[in-house]
Amino acid sequence: MLEEGAPIVSESAAATGAQLVLDVLADEGVEVVFGYPGGAIMPLYDAMVGHPMQHILTRHEAAAAFAAGGYARSSGRVGVCMATSGPGATNLVTGILDSQMDSIPIVAITGQVRSELMGTDGFQEADVTSIMGPVTKRSVCVRDVRDLEKMLRAAFRVARGPRPGPVLVDIPSDILKAKVPRMDYFAPRPIPPALERPDDATIDAALELLRTAQRPVAIVGGGARSANAVHLFREFCGMLELPHTATINGLGCATPGDPNFLGMLGMHGYKAANLAVNAADVVFALGMRFDDRVTGRPDKFARGAQIVHADVDASEFGKIIPVKVALRGDLRATLTALVRRAAQQQMPRFAGWAAEAKAYGGALPADRAPHGELSATDALDAFFAVAPDDAIVTTDVGQHQMWAAQRQRAIHPRNFITSAGLGSMGFGLPAAIGAQMANPQRTVVAICGDGGFQMSIAELATLRRFALPVKILLIDNQRLGMVRQWQELFYDRRYSHTDLSDNPDFVAVARAYGVRAERVEDAGELRDALERFFRAKEPSLLHCACFPAENVWPLIPPGATVHDAMDGAPEAIPA
Amino acid sequence: MTLSLVLHDWRLLERIVGLTNRLGCAYTSVNVRSGESLYHATIEFAGPPDALRRLDAQLTRLLNDDKEMSR
Repeated sequence: MLEEGAPIVSESAAATGAQLVLDVLADEGVEVVFGYPGGAIMPLYDAMVGHPMQHILTRHEAAAAFAAGGYARSSGRVGVCMATSGPGATNLVTGILDSQMDSIPIVAITGQVRSELMGTDGFQEADVTSIMGPVTKRSVCVRDVRDLEKMLRAAFRVARGPRPGPVLVDIPSDILKAKVPRMDYFAPRPIPPALERPDDATIDAALELLRTAQRPVAIVGGGARSANAVHLFREFCGMLELPHTATINGLGCATPGDPNFLGMLGMHGYKAANLAVNAADVVFALGMRFDDRVTGRPDKFARGAQIVHADVDASEFGKIIPVKVALRGDLRATLTALVRRAAQQQMPRFAGWAAEAKAYGGALPADRAPHGELSATDALDAFFAVAPDDAIVTTDVGQHQMWAAQRQRAIHPRNFITSAGLGSMGFGLPAAIGAQMANPQRTVVAICGDGGFQMSIAELATLRRFALPVKILLIDNQRLGMVRQWQELFYDRRYSHTDLSDNPDFVAVARAYGVRAERVEDAGELRDALERFFRAKEPSLLHCACFPAENVWPLIPPGATVHDAMDGAPEAIPA
Repeated sequence: MTLSLVLHDWRLLERIVGLTNRLGCAYTSVNVRSGESLYHATIEFAGPPDALRRLDAQLTRLLNDDKEMSR
C-alpha cells in the first residue's frame, strides 16, 4: 500500500518523529512489534532500519492486531501493532476490539496521510480516530510533533490499566518526518495512578456473607489474569475449601488438580459448575463481568444467591446482575485483603458442600463417531493427554474452541488464550505467533477449526519466515461447525452456507508454505502422529479430518437457564 | 439526568453521543464551553433509569481515561 505522491525520505537516525516513536516504544519495554507497512507509515518503517526493535511482518493487518493481543495475553506486557492509513488501519479494527472486549493491553500505531490532506478524501485517508473510538479505551491523533512523546507515554499508561485495554495513536506522516528533540531518558514521567482497593469494612461485609453461607461458590474471570492475582485466588479458595468455577477467560486460575474446581461455567460449561452456581446462596464473582454466555437468562442466574462482585471497573457493578457487596479495586489488592481479613477471623470451611457440588455433574457428554471415523473430541482428549504441562494453547473460535475450553489443563490463565468476548474467527494462529514471540522457549499450539484457520492461513508464511515453532492442531470437520450445530438444533436442520466440504488439501497448502504437515483420519493413528507433532522443532500442522456432525455438549440454549441444558438428546430441544 | 463533564479532548463528545445511543438513551440538551485547555460540557440525558445508570458509569470510565491521556 503506497501513498501516491509521498516524498521518498530516507533520513539518518536523526531525531524525527518516527525515531522518537521507536525510542519511546523501547523505553516502555517494547521489544517486538507486529505490523504491515504502507505509504503513510513509511517514515516509521524507514526509522526501523538499523534499529534494534524487532518487527514481525504479518500477512494481513488483522493478524498483526491479533498477534499483539496474543503477545499481551501470554506475557502480561503491552502488545504493539502498527499499520498504515486507510485500509491498513481499518483492517486492525477487529483485532483491536478483540482486545477491548477481553481487557487486553495493546497499543496500535497507525500512519495517517499528511496533515494537509486530512479531510480531503485523499488516497488511503480515513477518519481513523473516529472509527477506532468505540473499540478502544482512547483513540487519538497526534497533530503536533511536540505532543508525540507525551501522547505515546499516555497511551501505554492507559492501555495498562487500571482496567487494561487497547489505545490507538494515529500519526500523520509529516509528524513522523518532523524534527523533534531527542527523547530525554531522564525526564520525570507521570506516576501511574495508585492501585485502588476496597476498605476493610467492605471486605468484612463480603466475608460476613461468606461466614453465614451454606452453599457459596466463587467464579473467577480474566480479571485475575490481568491483575496477576492468580496465586491469591488459589489461596483464598484453598483456605476456605471453597468450590469454584471459571469463565473461559478465567480458565487456568484454579490450582491444577484442585478437587473443589467445578470446571468451566456457562453455555458450554460443566454441569456441576452451572448447577452449583444455580444452587448457591452466596456467589463471589472475582474479575468477571457476567457475560450472557455465562449467565444465560440473567433474571434466572443464581437467583437464590447474594452476589459479591469484585472488579476494578465500577461500571461493571450491577450492569447485568444486582450486587449485594461491590468490591471496587485492583483484584490483587482486593484478594490480598480478603485473604488477610479471612485469616484473622473464624471462617467456615466448605469441603462438604464442595463435594456435594462436584457430584452434580459427571463426565462430559460427547457424540460418538461413526465406526472408523475420527471425532474432534477424541482428537482433543488425546492432544491434552500428551501436551506439555506448561504449553501455551491458543484457540480459534467455534466448536473446537469450546471443546478445548472444556478439556484444557492450563496451569495458568496465560497458558490458555482465546477470543472470548468478541469471538473473532481468525484469531488462533496469529495469537499463537504473538504468544511464541513472547515465550520463545515454550511449546505454543494453535487449535483451529477449518473455518477460522482459512481466515488467517496466510500467516503460515509468517511462521516460516521467522522460523517460529508454532504447532497447529487443525480440527477439520468440513463445516462451520458451531453455526451448523445451531442450524441443526434451532433452525430445523436448514443448513445454510455452513458446508466447507470443498476445503483445500491443508497438508499440501501447509507444505507449499514450507510448514511441516501431516494428516490423520483414524483415531488409531493419533497417538503416533501427536508424538511426531510435539517432537517437531519447526512449524508444524497436524490435520485431523473429523466427522462433521459432532456437537458440543452440554449446551444451555441462548437466553435459557441451566435447567434447559441439553446434553446430546435432540428430543430435549425446547420449542 | 444532567451531567457536568470536564473534557480534555473535545472529540469525546462523539464518544458520548455514540454511547448514549448504544445504551438506548437520548440527550435533550448539550452545552459546551471551551476553556484554556479544557472543555466544560453540560448534557441532559433522557432514558430508562437503568440505562442512565450504566451510561453514567461508562462516562466516568471514559473521562478517567481522558484525564490520564492528558497528564
